[in-house]
Amino acid sequence: MIKFWNKRVKLGVITEKPELEESLKKIHKEIKENVKKKFAGSLAIRMVDSGSCNACEAECNALSNPYFDLERLGIYFVASPRHADVMLVSGVMTFNMTPHVKEAYEQIPSPKWIISIGDCPMMQAPFEKNYAINAPVTEHLEVTHHIAGCPPNPVEIMEGFLEFLKKI
Amino acid sequence: MRFIARFCKEKRECFEIITVYEESTKIEEISKESPRIKTLAKKEPSAIWFERKMQDDFGIIIEDAFDKRPLVHQERFPRDLHPLRKDFKEIQLQEAPYLQYKYEEISGDGVFQVAVGPIHAGIIEPGHFQFSQAGEEMLHLEVRHFYKNRGIEKMLEGKTLQEAKPIIERISGNESIAYQICYRDIYLQATKQELPLSLRKRHALLLELERTIHHLTDIGFIPNDAGFGAALSFASKLSEDARRKMNELTGHRFGFGAIDFENSFIDTASFHEWLNDLKQSVEFFEDWIIDIPSLWDRFDTTGILPLKKAVKYATVGVIARASGIAIDRRINPFYLEHGFSLASEVSGDVAARFKVRLAELQNSIVMMRNFLEEDDTKLEVTEIYDGEYQSFCESSIGELFMAIDIKDGLIERFFVRDPSFMNWQAVHIMMSSDIIADFPLINKSCDLSYAGNDL
Repeated sequence: MIKFWNKRVKLGVITEKPELEESLKKIHKEIKENVKKKFAGSLAIRMVDSGSCNACEAECNALSNPYFDLERLGIYFVASPRHADVMLVSGVMTFNMTPHVKEAYEQIPSPKWIISIGDCPMMQAPFEKNYAINAPVTEHLEVTHHIAGCPPNPVEIMEGFLEFLKKI
Repeated sequence: MRFIARFCKEKRECFEIITVYEESTKIEEISKESPRIKTLAKKEPSAIWFERKMQDDFGIIIEDAFDKRPLVHQERFPRDLHPLRKDFKEIQLQEAPYLQYKYEEISGDGVFQVAVGPIHAGIIEPGHFQFSQAGEEMLHLEVRHFYKNRGIEKMLEGKTLQEAKPIIERISGNESIAYQICYRDIYLQATKQELPLSLRKRHALLLELERTIHHLTDIGFIPNDAGFGAALSFASKLSEDARRKMNELTGHRFGFGAIDFENSFIDTASFHEWLNDLKQSVEFFEDWIIDIPSLWDRFDTTGILPLKKAVKYATVGVIARASGIAIDRRINPFYLEHGFSLASEVSGDVAARFKVRLAELQNSIVMMRNFLEEDDTKLEVTEIYDGEYQSFCESSIGELFMAIDIKDGLIERFFVRDPSFMNWQAVHIMMSSDIIADFPLINKSCDLSYAGNDL
């Protein structure tokens, strides 16, 4: 274990320093302020995959790596819809997932919002509408904000959250 | 003779049932009026999903099957619809009345069922796990998937190979490069062309980079599921670095669209530098993690897949290698010349799968160094010939198999078997001696794809 502590001291904090990237700094500050103002400091997100390729999930996971560390801004991915303020939907709303996605949404206590992520939920990805796909998601649920990209990278997702926070 | 895949093709006069083994392929023709086949699952247990899929997709009756439940079609899917038949043209289905799916369950005094999923507590893909429990002990697990079924096979029919590429890239985000390489091989077979060595090297480099990203993520998440979060912080930093390298090389963080026939410039100096850093970091990680006894207490003897079962279920990839099977699509002269060495363990538990990943990671770093070169070769692609083509690739999960039939320049039938499709069927065996709290750890140690499995 002593090896690890040595390494840790040497490595220091690698979370992207605001002075490195001016734009990131701005996003961070604004997200933090908005979350504080509108969600009393903590915005809880329940991510639901309705048939994506797993790239959007990987990017959301990347948000918690030491470079981005989203939680310090007050945004959390939670384990249950009942703990959530926002449902984040990725994927093409497959026929098999549609009832489950709707049920997850019903389980979220009001007030609640939906953010869609990636090109799939809006049918802008290369996938074509067929029998197994119920997208666009807007036909089934009321989407407040959409984060475009295939997949959107972590910074774009953060920007998306900020836009959402400004919208409501 | 290792079983690889079993799938159906609709011809004008009949259905063809193709069974692919490692050394041979069997073709069986059955009539369209009464499409019936005998099950293979009594000899090859993992054939059962292929057969149940055929039953759903084509309406083929598996006469003596011990399991005739629907696989892809779920509770609300309209009955007696077979979407992969050529005469099926609907693009919007109405939900049918709910029909209960009968899970494999063990019953008895004090035995209870735990249903997990399809939506899980975390940022992961949907799938259902049904446990039969006696207290904490798992008596049985049924894995049920296909929630993410996007009808990819049908979607690609009637498209040209070029039109199909963006979709094939996006079947499974974690294995995008592997899918593209399978596609590339089929493309080259169809144009009767050879790939120049330098392009082959570039593609192999990207495949190893993808494997590196995936394994780095896993070596963080596996200890994290055993309650050791520091490993995740450490490894997710490395995997983010690797993902940024992927972005630098291909212009996309997941390498979508990266496999083409034109070599572009690579900044070899900075890449070498990054490889050196990564090598040191991985060595440090290994040295550090090996010294944490409480972690290995969770890893060792958890989720054992014995060699015999691993062979019986025709598992592939990391899982097979961790159980002592020497199987890897990279065992060929090209890879051996560039420093490939097979990672293998014998204990078949979580620890073995973790160690295989670590070893492969280190081997990938060696190989990436050998594949790296500055070059600007270009391959002019020529006309596509009709035919039936097959290809294989070793993705970060295991052996990927793809088959495409081309007729009049258009895709007549697209079939792909993700390594996860085989391995999911062996997951229930790993549960026999563990408690339910070990399940997330075991599941993560396999890290199988849901999207690639469901298609």
